[in-house]
Amino acid sequence: MTSDARSEKKRETETGPEGIDRIEIRLDLFTNVNWTRMSLLKPFSRLPGLNTASILLVENEEQFQQSLADALVEETAVTVNVRLAKSLPLPMKNEEGRPRIDLVVFIINLTSELSFQSAEASLKYLDPGYFLGKVCFMVTNARNASVPTERLDTVRKLAASLHCPLLFAEDQTPDGVANATERLLTILKVAAGLVPMATALYLSNLTRCTVPPDIDQPSFD
Amino acid sequence: MDDATKRLLQRLVRRIPTQILRTTLDKWGRLTAAQKQSIDFTQPKWALTERLLAVCEENEWTVKHITELEMIYVIDNPNQGMWYAFQLLDPEDDACSVELTQFKEQFKSHLSELVRPVSVKIKKHTDEAVWIRIAWGDSFSRPNHLKPTYVVHHLQTPYVFVTSLTSKQKPLLSQALVLSTRYQAIKDANLSGRKLTAIRDLLMRQYQQVFPTNYPSPLAERNQTVSNPLIEKEQAQPAANRLQMACEAFGDGVLPQLQSAVYKLETKFRDYTNKTMTEREEPFRCHVKFASTNLLESLRHCASSGIASTPVTPLLSSIPLKGRNYFVITDNGPGPSSQTHQP
Repeated sequence: MTSDARSEKKRETETGPEGIDRIEIRLDLFTNVNWTRMSLLKPFSRLPGLNTASILLVENEEQFQQSLADALVEETAVTVNVRLAKSLPLPMKNEEGRPRIDLVVFIINLTSELSFQSAEASLKYLDPGYFLGKVCFMVTNARNASVPTERLDTVRKLAASLHCPLLFAEDQTPDGVANATERLLTILKVAAGLVPMATALYLSNLTRCTVPPDIDQPSFD
Repeated sequence: MDDATKRLLQRLVRRIPTQILRTTLDKWGRLTAAQKQSIDFTQPKWALTERLLAVCEENEWTVKHITELEMIYVIDNPNQGMWYAFQLLDPEDDACSVELTQFKEQFKSHLSELVRPVSVKIKKHTDEAVWIRIAWGDSFSRPNHLKPTYVVHHLQTPYVFVTSLTSKQKPLLSQALVLSTRYQAIKDANLSGRKLTAIRDLLMRQYQQVFPTNYPSPLAERNQTVSNPLIEKEQAQPAANRLQMACEAFGDGVLPQLQSAVYKLETKFRDYTNKTMTEREEPFRCHVKFASTNLLESLRHCASSGIASTPVTPLLSSIPLKGRNYFVITDNGPGPSSQTHQP
């Protein structure tokens, strides 16, 4: 199993206006894991629905995902299917009824170390194909004074290494929820292929998280 | 009117919030209608106190009357101070047929034999609880009404709840209780809390219990907040299982409000990376305290949200199961406490 994973290290070349010439996917997260292929969530294992987009929200606390879900289904231009989970892997018995998941969002509450660890552990259960623009990280409570700065830096480094966008959200007010919903819908529509001339990979190149070169230097407080 | 009465009334009025004072005085019924009219409850406390002292002078109340008032207040507002639970052991043959008058006579006579002088007031509340107010005196002084002990006993149950008892008074009270209830011994139940109603409900299991069942569907239906067919929870079944196990361990609905649980560990230190500590002969003493405004609710939430692993560990589930919140854990397993909880 592990040798298979290592042999899958892809290198794709794409030239675009911004002149990227190489995309390397970090697959060392997938080594040392002993699982069958079946428990991986795959991005293209079934056909899409007409004018439909499906999003999977993964959150350890199971709080914010509920209010996000209620706001997401109110979208009228597209039918949005929302799936909620506490962590991956998803139960096998739901596999038949599950639509093709276009976007996986990991919601991390910065005030809880458990939240981050659960999200990191869940990453192993996603097929590598998702990391080409179909995964996004959403972080809450970034302004909270009790959050240690190292945690945000760790999340940043994780998102940057996976080439995923990192969104900051405010989950306590309806405005914050509406704001986060709008941003997720923008990415979701592109990931579901509903926006002409834009692909998930293209968008993720523009929006992916980057770490400043001096992230490991002590900051002035 | 002597100083003791005055001081007692002053203390009492200071202690009782104004709103409750009005209802308590009405319940007491020793004020005439005219006097009731004349008291203005919107005044500041000190003015109220002056007025009540004047009324007291008028009506020639004694300490006996003021203690009546105090008792009415405490019975209606029992959730103050620290209450400790005790359990009577080894009933005699006639323990289940002890009724109120017999208990009252016996308790008063036994206690007066042990302590003289002592002032005892016994009152039966509507919910079958017997309330006892004890003011302790000794050979040098009159009963001290400023520091009374309150005891609550439910007849035909082995439970007794006590507040404000010193260690010197404890053996005397225990003796009197044991003799008057026709049991052979009394022990500390290792349960304490600020709310009498909470520790009583916990011991007597007066909260909603959940029993293991193969078909837990009623619980799952109640928790269905998701009505939109587009939203689906992938892990609804494991979540429902966790909720079921948490409710089986702690109960459903509103839980009795405990404030803390204390575990005293007297176990050997076990960490193989730390040789010096593991090699010690004496057990490692450690005190773990869980504190919360509603401890059982927090623990139930920990179990249902997955923070505490399910099935719930017996260390936590024995709080409602055994009705205790003080545990001493030794290497042979959780056992009876070697030290009693200090009142």
